[in-house]
Amino acid sequence: MQCVHRVLLGVRGVVGKVHAGCAFHSGAPRLTVDKALLVKMRKATGYSFINCKKALEKFANDMAQAESWLHEQAQKEGWSKASKLKGRKTSEGLIGLLLGDKAAVMVEVNCETDFVARNITFQQLVKEAALAMMALHLQRRQSSRPCYTKSVLNGEDLGQLKSASDGAPLANKLALAIGKLGENLALKRAALLAVPPDFHIGSYVHGALPINDPSLDGTSFGKYAALVVCRSKEGRNAEQLVEVGRRLGQHVVGEAPSFLGCLDDLPCGETETRMMVQSFLPDPSRTVGQYVQEKAVRVLDFIRFECGESDHSVEQS
Amino acid sequence: MAASVSLLCPFTLCRCPILSSFCSCQQAPLCSRLGVAPVFFRHYAAEAKKTFTRDKPHVNIGTIGHVDHGKTTLTAAITKVLAEAGGAHYKKYEDIDNAPEEKARGITINASHVEYTTANRHYAHTDCPGHADYVKNMITGTAQMDGCILVVAATDGQMPQTREHLLLARQIGVEHVVVFVNKADAVEDKEMLDLVELEIRELLSEFGYDGEKTPVIIGSALCALESRESELGVNSILKLLEVVDEYIPLPKRELDKPYLLPIEAVYSIPGRGTVVTGTLERGVIKKGDECEFVGHNKAFKSIVTGVEMFHKSLERAEAGDNLGALVRGLKREDARRGMVMCKPGSIKPHQKVQAQVYVLSQEEGGRHKPFVSNFMPVMFSLTWDMACREMVMPGEDTSLTLTLRQPMVLEKGQRFTLRDGNKTIGTGIVTEVLTVTAEDEVNWGG
Repeated sequence: MQCVHRVLLGVRGVVGKVHAGCAFHSGAPRLTVDKALLVKMRKATGYSFINCKKALEKFANDMAQAESWLHEQAQKEGWSKASKLKGRKTSEGLIGLLLGDKAAVMVEVNCETDFVARNITFQQLVKEAALAMMALHLQRRQSSRPCYTKSVLNGEDLGQLKSASDGAPLANKLALAIGKLGENLALKRAALLAVPPDFHIGSYVHGALPINDPSLDGTSFGKYAALVVCRSKEGRNAEQLVEVGRRLGQHVVGEAPSFLGCLDDLPCGETETRMMVQSFLPDPSRTVGQYVQEKAVRVLDFIRFECGESDHSVEQS
Repeated sequence: MAASVSLLCPFTLCRCPILSSFCSCQQAPLCSRLGVAPVFFRHYAAEAKKTFTRDKPHVNIGTIGHVDHGKTTLTAAITKVLAEAGGAHYKKYEDIDNAPEEKARGITINASHVEYTTANRHYAHTDCPGHADYVKNMITGTAQMDGCILVVAATDGQMPQTREHLLLARQIGVEHVVVFVNKADAVEDKEMLDLVELEIRELLSEFGYDGEKTPVIIGSALCALESRESELGVNSILKLLEVVDEYIPLPKRELDKPYLLPIEAVYSIPGRGTVVTGTLERGVIKKGDECEFVGHNKAFKSIVTGVEMFHKSLERAEAGDNLGALVRGLKREDARRGMVMCKPGSIKPHQKVQAQVYVLSQEEGGRHKPFVSNFMPVMFSLTWDMACREMVMPGEDTSLTLTLRQPMVLEKGQRFTLRDGNKTIGTGIVTEVLTVTAEDEVNWGG
């Protein structure tokens, strides 16, 4: 194999000097790592060059062993990185929304820069968290009758949840992602809504990022998300209910109501915080109350997540 | 005040200096308003020239890269190395405030700026922490980046989010990237550096950059700061600057572009003809040049028969000059404010554009509520209809499609402000010009 020895600082490419030639290492190579293997390893695992090299040296170029060692190592390094980065501010991130059968999950995971929020590794973590939350719901439902449930978890409890894929706690997955992305990340909160069969959960995600990986199918990601529980008064077709639910969700994201309010409340202008008497966002000539009456739908509850908003809303709900 | 005006302007009876030699009599109030401003403008410009004289061309660059890969250390190292040559003030790592909030056009952007001078150029160096900050930066045009330095640590290689960094660079129109592989002192095996370089070149090619030709400099900003291992330290920084000087081209100067004069006012001068006034946005205008008037559903050509500035006839006026142009055969009612006079064929009116818009948050004085499709804000003096994505929240940047009530002069890269009632709600930049389709013929509600 040709040894490319670079004269330090020699710039290849534009300057036109290619410092390449056949040179031998001055020190006798001990256990040389096959460079092609190293590149392959790095491509396959995404771990840093240094670690890939260590792994290949350790297991004498045995790919399989090296890879499993790397995974182990990544977990360890993740934890140490996580403790090192702990305390760095995480104000960016994503809300992940996952819809199930008469159930819906929203999770918020934070990171330091919005570059990371756009990365697939991060999005996979968000999905993992959402799936774990959904798994919790399915487990519960087996043991009890379907009824109306709403549970909100804070970050710590969320970290304890078992991942749906391999049973490891989410906190482990988080540490792994921290190790990979090199940024402080935090599982912020999660909400689960489950409803009896004759109810519908409307959902809306705002600022949704285009998803370009099949592994993320089924989950939507955005900066804002809302779930609205509604019940149709008569047997309306499901499709229409989905659209009504979506528009209500959009309203909740946009106008950020604090309370549901009731239909007979008197509206009090621009600063109104009761949803039913707010003017309906997609059509400001009506109030939300008028809109739902027209559509013969009752709104029972809603949850709104805004990425990076302060904690109090978690405690409130 | 009056004295100083008259000193500068011999036509004491408040005659418009621009028009003075065209006109023998003028309506005083109109003239005084228009006339004084350019005089002072000129005055300021002359003063400014003394303070801001640049003997070197100016270039805006920025750094992008993962948070821990040493962008700030590199910036500090650059200032340190250049300070020794007198081209910068040394800024310690701690002095480079990591992204203080600043306000540009009322928008809060987190960015840090450092300036320095190399042998050939003067640089403004910008660093922002997030994607959204760079996009806001692009929209407001505070420091349009002509090129950027991608910082990658040799120890880690590219990070998963490096892809997002390059996507951003593409999005904000950075065409030239230089790579600095940092922390090379922490890597024992030099072959590893080759691999890091190889990988980054591959990635660059994947994102449409010239991976083969892109300069990749290997060094250590920390070594440069601590004045050790000068090969990896100081020399690598010098090499980097040299390559940045060479590889990142100078932005096209405004003077080289076809001229464009947005019309501020139109005057008819008995016995001479019609004069249009305004500040030349770009390019050079000369007596005898062909010109074209565009906007307000009109387009016609003519010839500039005279260019005047400060009551003097000019051979040529340059970008930034406030001037009046006498146009052959123009009638006063032919042209009006809002139209432009330009080099024939250089610019076209458009009715529909794609634009990247930042919507001000409530704290920045914008709306507290989101807006939805078919929202109709007003832009400058033009009326727009906009069909946007379903909903835009305050504090968000977004891509919008805007449809105008009538075709107006618009081109890629043009900036605008959106207002609703008495509030500025957002600011944007045209990213693409679209053709109008039948379904855009919406009713404008009279």
